[in-house]
Amino acid sequence: MKRVAQTLAVLATLAALGAAAVVGFGLYNVSARQGHLSGVGWALHTTFIQSVRLRAPEPSKIPQDLVDTDRIALGGLHFQSACAFCHAVPGQPRSATAMAMEPRPPHIKDAVASWEPQHLHWIVYEGVKMSGMPHWPAKAREDEVWSVVAYLEAVKAETSPTLPEATCAACHGTGGRSDNTHVPRLDILTPEQIAQALFHYRNGSRGSGYMQMIASQMSDRQIATLAQEFGTARLAAHPVDDNTTPGWLLANRGTDDVPSCTSCHHPKADAIAPAIAGQSQEYLKSQLYLWREGTRGGGKRAKLMRKAAQDLTDAQIAILADWYAAQRPPTPDP
Amino acid sequence: MYVHSRNALACLAAAFVLSACDGRQSVLAPSGTDALSVFDLARVMFIGAVVLWLLVGTLFIYVTRINPREMSRRKAEILIVGGGVVFPVLLLGALLVYSLPLMNAPRLADEGLRVHITAEQWWWRVDYELPDGTRIPSANELRLPVGTRTGLVLNAKKVIHSFWVPALGGKTDMIPGRETFQSLQPVTAGVYRGQCAEFCGASHALMAFETVAMEPEDFAAWLEAEARDAQPPATAPARRGAKIFAREGCGGCHTVRGTDAVGQVGPDLTHVGSRKSLAAGILDVTAEDFADWIGHTDAIKPEVAMPSYDFLPREDLAALGIYLEGLK
Repeated sequence: MKRVAQTLAVLATLAALGAAAVVGFGLYNVSARQGHLSGVGWALHTTFIQSVRLRAPEPSKIPQDLVDTDRIALGGLHFQSACAFCHAVPGQPRSATAMAMEPRPPHIKDAVASWEPQHLHWIVYEGVKMSGMPHWPAKAREDEVWSVVAYLEAVKAETSPTLPEATCAACHGTGGRSDNTHVPRLDILTPEQIAQALFHYRNGSRGSGYMQMIASQMSDRQIATLAQEFGTARLAAHPVDDNTTPGWLLANRGTDDVPSCTSCHHPKADAIAPAIAGQSQEYLKSQLYLWREGTRGGGKRAKLMRKAAQDLTDAQIAILADWYAAQRPPTPDP
Repeated sequence: MYVHSRNALACLAAAFVLSACDGRQSVLAPSGTDALSVFDLARVMFIGAVVLWLLVGTLFIYVTRINPREMSRRKAEILIVGGGVVFPVLLLGALLVYSLPLMNAPRLADEGLRVHITAEQWWWRVDYELPDGTRIPSANELRLPVGTRTGLVLNAKKVIHSFWVPALGGKTDMIPGRETFQSLQPVTAGVYRGQCAEFCGASHALMAFETVAMEPEDFAAWLEAEARDAQPPATAPARRGAKIFAREGCGGCHTVRGTDAVGQVGPDLTHVGSRKSLAAGILDVTAEDFADWIGHTDAIKPEVAMPSYDFLPREDLAALGIYLEGLK
């Protein structure tokens, strides 16, 4: 018995020394050209598939509007700028560089083929370690990932639209007048407000997988230029007559839990908060959810909005987003 | 050790005596009909208990030390039946007859004025209802006329609180979703402190209020003033404060009647400058305290709903303080 234990101890020491030599002396060849030993690739890929199946969200979490064209356009434009380098776009082959990666990233057509929307969401949000697949840059923005999933579902169904080049205007509209409900209008913001948002996206204090991807690559000068290009320095708001619609009442009077929106988002020149009349509906909704969760970044006054939104109900968020989206947006004040 | 405990005892006694002397928040300095009757009851009970204790003690010493002889059966029976059955029944019966009606007093109906008080975390929403149905909103202070019974309709917003002005009457729980009632009748004009008497969260201990009992004609004049809109700011710094108040969105939560500020989330500030205390009984109504409060709400009152405006420059906070202090 004692001899068996001694033998095992000697073997274990030798194995540890061998492993240390492989790591320490560079004996393992990490060459991508070399590829994996047969069997290793299969084991890793099966681990990946089973891990995704175990951890993906419930199918009930899938939003109803996954076929919405605005979602598909937003997700597709992001895909084009962030994902296409490795996975290519439908109808186009992968680049030679992408083909030379190990593991080789699948063409998007093949990548989406065997997954349900909840699996795609998990893969895009969490990423896959040791494969080169990154996770979604913004932790608190699981909501955004669904628009990418919407695009991937369209790819799977072979109905994905041909998209323009992913510029600012491709999402935010010509002159910043976005007509995509998931993307905010920029023409009703001041250059200062746009620049501040870009700075916050760049340093990560405001989360968005879409915007952090873009803003993280911008210089101060580019931010200033874009802010001037899309923002409007002087805006004239259009007053709304008092009325008793639920939207007007909630926005202008508040409740005993919710302060009125207009006490900060008012049309006067010294307003501390951006104009939201005419802002994109789904964008407003998503931001109100973030404010309520407490995960929306922002400037020094962000805590005021966090407090203001903390008691909003889902129904109130819908009422406010619908009402503000339907209002006439402010126009340039000559 | 001996010296130690004697000091502690002296401190305790001093604290007891001092708190009773101050009298603003003490059941031992009653100034309302209900508190007086409770005080009377307590005195009757205390004095009665002392007399009985002496009586029983004397009797005990008499039969065991002074005259330790066997009693006659008849005498013993009289003592046991008389002292053990008849006397307690008579005494307790009399006390019951005297004390039971006292319990009814705090539930007596009001004599015209009703005040709706809703406990929030951690402040008091106060709303005066006149006999004609007129409502006059206020906050964090209760004013009552001397000599008449005022009804208090009590509610709570999210958690259970308890309403208590020790110098004027007993406690009544304030329960979310259920209205409770208490009435108070002050007998002497003065300022009495009230306090939430049911643990209600992080700042429970910082949830107090002043109750001002006023002579009827003073009260009528005060109520008339309270019903008016806020005075416009009179000085240049106050006007600057009013501008900052509007700019920073304070009106989203607070009402200042006569201005654009119509918020319902926090206390009504129309006449906040004329109140006896700030932030529900914990600060003074001075421009400096207003500025301190607005700039450091969390530090002064943990977990309070109002955000700290610590990003505002000191001059802005000072101007806000001057404006609010001027809202007489």
